[in-house]
Amino acid sequence: MKPPPVKYARAGDVAEAVALLTEHGSDAKVLAGGQSLIPLMNFRLARPSVLIDINRAAGLDGIRVENGSLVIGAMARQRDVETSDVAAGAVPLLPQVLRHVGHVTNRNRGTVGGSLAHADPAAELPALVTGLGGELLVQGPGGSRLVAAEDYFLGTFTTAMEFDEVLTGVRLPRLPAGTGVAVEELARRHGDFAIVATMAAIHLAADGTVDLVRLAASGVASVPVRLHGAEAVLAGIAPTAEAIDAAAETVAGSIKPTGDVHAPADYRRDMAGLLVRRALRTAIQRTEVAA
Amino acid sequence: MTIVEPPVTTQTRYTGTPVRRTEDPRLLAGRGEYVDDVTVPKMIEAAVLRSPEAHARILSIDTSAARALPGVFDVITGADLAAVAGQQPVIWFPIPDQRIAKTHALATDRVRWVGQAVAAVVAVDRYVAEDALELIDVEYEPLPVVADLDAALAPDAPKLYDDWPDNVSGSLTYTFGEPDEAFAAADVVVKESFNHGRAFGCPLEPRGAIVDWDAFSDTIDVWLSTQAPNLARDLLSEVLGVPVHKIRVRTPNLGGGFGNKFDFYGEEVIAAVLSRRTGRPVKLIEDRRDSFFATSHSRDQRLDFEMALTNDGTIVGLRGISYGVLGGALGTVGSGPPWASVLTCMGPYKIPNLDVTVKAVMTNRSPYGSYRGWGVPKGNIVHERLIEIAARELGMDRAEIRRKNFPAPEEFPHFSGVAFTYDSGRYADCLDLAMSKIEELGWRERQAQARAEGRSVGIGYSFHVEPSAYGPSRILNLVGLAHSGFDEVTLRMDSIGKVTVYSGQINMGQGTHTIYAQLAADSLGVPMDDIVVVTGDTDSCPYTGYGTGGSRAAPLGGAAIIRAGERLRAKLLRIGAQLLEASPDDMEIVDGVLSVRGAPGRSVTTREIGDAAYRRLLDRLPEGEMPTLEEVDVFDPPNMATSYGCTALLAEVDRETGMVSLIDCLQAHDCGTVINPMLVDGQLAGGLAQALGGALLEELIYDDEGQLRTASFMDYLLPTAMEIPPFHFYHQETPAPDIPGGIKGVGEAGTIAGVSLVGSAIDDALSDLGVTVTRFPVTPPRLLDLIRAAQISASQAKEGSA
Repeated sequence: MKPPPVKYARAGDVAEAVALLTEHGSDAKVLAGGQSLIPLMNFRLARPSVLIDINRAAGLDGIRVENGSLVIGAMARQRDVETSDVAAGAVPLLPQVLRHVGHVTNRNRGTVGGSLAHADPAAELPALVTGLGGELLVQGPGGSRLVAAEDYFLGTFTTAMEFDEVLTGVRLPRLPAGTGVAVEELARRHGDFAIVATMAAIHLAADGTVDLVRLAASGVASVPVRLHGAEAVLAGIAPTAEAIDAAAETVAGSIKPTGDVHAPADYRRDMAGLLVRRALRTAIQRTEVAA
Repeated sequence: MTIVEPPVTTQTRYTGTPVRRTEDPRLLAGRGEYVDDVTVPKMIEAAVLRSPEAHARILSIDTSAARALPGVFDVITGADLAAVAGQQPVIWFPIPDQRIAKTHALATDRVRWVGQAVAAVVAVDRYVAEDALELIDVEYEPLPVVADLDAALAPDAPKLYDDWPDNVSGSLTYTFGEPDEAFAAADVVVKESFNHGRAFGCPLEPRGAIVDWDAFSDTIDVWLSTQAPNLARDLLSEVLGVPVHKIRVRTPNLGGGFGNKFDFYGEEVIAAVLSRRTGRPVKLIEDRRDSFFATSHSRDQRLDFEMALTNDGTIVGLRGISYGVLGGALGTVGSGPPWASVLTCMGPYKIPNLDVTVKAVMTNRSPYGSYRGWGVPKGNIVHERLIEIAARELGMDRAEIRRKNFPAPEEFPHFSGVAFTYDSGRYADCLDLAMSKIEELGWRERQAQARAEGRSVGIGYSFHVEPSAYGPSRILNLVGLAHSGFDEVTLRMDSIGKVTVYSGQINMGQGTHTIYAQLAADSLGVPMDDIVVVTGDTDSCPYTGYGTGGSRAAPLGGAAIIRAGERLRAKLLRIGAQLLEASPDDMEIVDGVLSVRGAPGRSVTTREIGDAAYRRLLDRLPEGEMPTLEEVDVFDPPNMATSYGCTALLAEVDRETGMVSLIDCLQAHDCGTVINPMLVDGQLAGGLAQALGGALLEELIYDDEGQLRTASFMDYLLPTAMEIPPFHFYHQETPAPDIPGGIKGVGEAGTIAGVSLVGSAIDDALSDLGVTVTRFPVTPPRLLDLIRAAQISASQAKEGSA
């Protein structure tokens, strides 16, 4: 399990990383926390010609609220985000989701940007960003651009980034006060990739009807999925048990799970519906209506 | 938690006390030395090319590009290896006339499993060696794949060995009593087909070897991560044609063995051949990925069995077949484990009529070998699952039906009906102990409360037997082992009165060094601090039959230490008597001080005894007494020692997902004399954790093309602290009558008990649905299928009765 020969270059900032990517072409890979890339290289499944290390690139690890959005730098360590009051205040779903990402030792090194650039459809962070309608900040030779999450994740390990672009951060809309959030994850062991994970954020108006609902699932398709159909069922109505069931019933039609050694596709489909139901129930319990 | 250091230095009796492990400080400080930590001057490093095909003919191998890579010393293929080495040996032949499928360490003309070694490279380092592997071009002609048991047994199945009539390596039936009559006359017959998936011991230190073949002296120096250095030396001699006395095998710290490192592997031979060809010491470490293909697989079995009973719950017969789903060639222990399942399928119960068969079947999977439990966990599945199904059928209490079928303490020694005679036991007492602890821990209230909340919580039971102290050499030979079962120990006190114990056993995490020091200290009457234990070197340590396996290190090595200690102690007392001008009969030795009984002022220490025996003998060593202080003992047991236990588990099932969570677990256990209760608890806990992993998580899954789909820790799921429940252990001590010291083995108890245990707890959690778990591991999708099928048939029954 030794990686094939690889060259190494350290980028001092994003512009340098972009220049190095442009120079070395599509065989180059950006090294962030290395929690996925290094094992893949040790298996010789990934064989980049050059590693472009952005661990020392300045200014990429910020966690701050900007114009009503939470902005997280690509190199922010997952553990730092998990324990950040700023992140928890703006998007209380974040620390809950991050607790399911590997183990603490993985999260100490693993970065938010690394997970989003790797784009594993079973991973938790891509589903969270998709579900909340987040945007990815991408920088290339021609400058920066913002990509909506649902346009960014294109397939398993595939994103809308060009080979010479670097992910620099992610922008998540701040959830209004009183939003109830919940994560339901089914994994064989704690810290494993999810068989299925679902996430819910829900906010109730003073009359008890739903005025914001966000639902997402991972492990159910080649990309993380925002469950628009289920959201539409709940929007504007009181979230009764019947409404939750009706929302959960739409899930099977919005996903395209595949089977693997841990669970067949049918099981994942069933569980996605069940876990949406469970996440909604918990999230609704956690909502707080402003007095 | 506060850990209180026992007052070791002032203790006069160590046996039975929780002495802390002498091994631990070094290991906990990260200063252990494993084989990969060993560096030998001029050493180079090897790597192995493995077959991507499950079944194929090798048409050609082109190694020229690999040879041309800078840094590469040598590249060998099967033809190169076969020119200087024989086939991999098999030592277990329990099935008469079995067809023995052997291979060379590197495939010569055909591969029969994914991961079979086809070529090897040695280079300046492992990186270059792995780069070179990618440059080897092997041309395969794929053959039809025999992916599983059904495919292997199909009438028109492709054959793994062209000159065999089918894929069956061998079959053996044992009958006892009149099974057909018993089944015909029985009131109730319950039958099931059980499956245990493939799994392996998965030691966290993978296997590894360094071989230094010295061309000038024609000697072979080996550092090997093994549980059986003496066996490895004998087998290396056999395969390489080098005399045993020219081979030295050393074993540094072992990071777990679990039976996997009992077996003898091709990599040892590959490293030797590469060393001989290059004139350099060669290190060949199995990395994690290699380990999933190249370390012995195990457990893979189907067990079709039926149990006959009378209406009062008395078992009158057991019959069935244990199919061993073997791999593409036989491993070192052949079909041993599936055979052992048949030997133990009656478990702790008196069953007067038996008709039980083992059938060993070859498939295109990795070879089958040793893993802690060695077939007995599957025997346990047969008797524990069937007796619970019978209890349900008869409306009997699960403890009551077990109690009814135990041999009484006075009925020992008890012949099981097939091969084993259990030496001693108080089975009903052990069961009662477990049941009383369930009450004490409040499990029944917890279960009732959970059920009231609509949660599905169940209590599972497993009563197991663990035949240990393998075993009487001549009986092992008789049942087909080409090896012995005795253990030899050298006990030496030196010229200043300190003691060294030399043993052929291997310390792989059990705490062997600690318990040997405890036993030697007690048998000699010296402080434990005065004792050093040496293992892991065939040049300085004695021969042990078999190796460290079969739960034999404590009972057999322990007995040999006790017997050697008694003789050495007598000699110390004779010399002490000479020095104090007393009679040896009046002497005693306590804590290293020899004194005249009743006159504590007249005393000498072992230091003075050492001096009298080694250096200043005049007037001090009795006439006729041989100088030096050394005793050798070889203990070949007259019978094995059978441990047993009753395990119980509190578990919860999520009916909507099929997920199982383990809440609490206890085991009442009897391994005879307990040398160190803390280490016995450690053995029980470790074994149970492995079994619970095997019952719920771990599986080597092959697809229809014979590809191994779970060859990394992402997919082969070891249990972690998050999945394992708290454990409570309770001991009762019924000394082994045939083992000096009364010690029974305990290394495999947990692995034997823990799989059927999970099935029992799940069944109980779902008792309203009538679910019966028959397939392990129980994964969430598999359990959800069982739940849904039971729910459908329950609702159909309701409609039918309406």
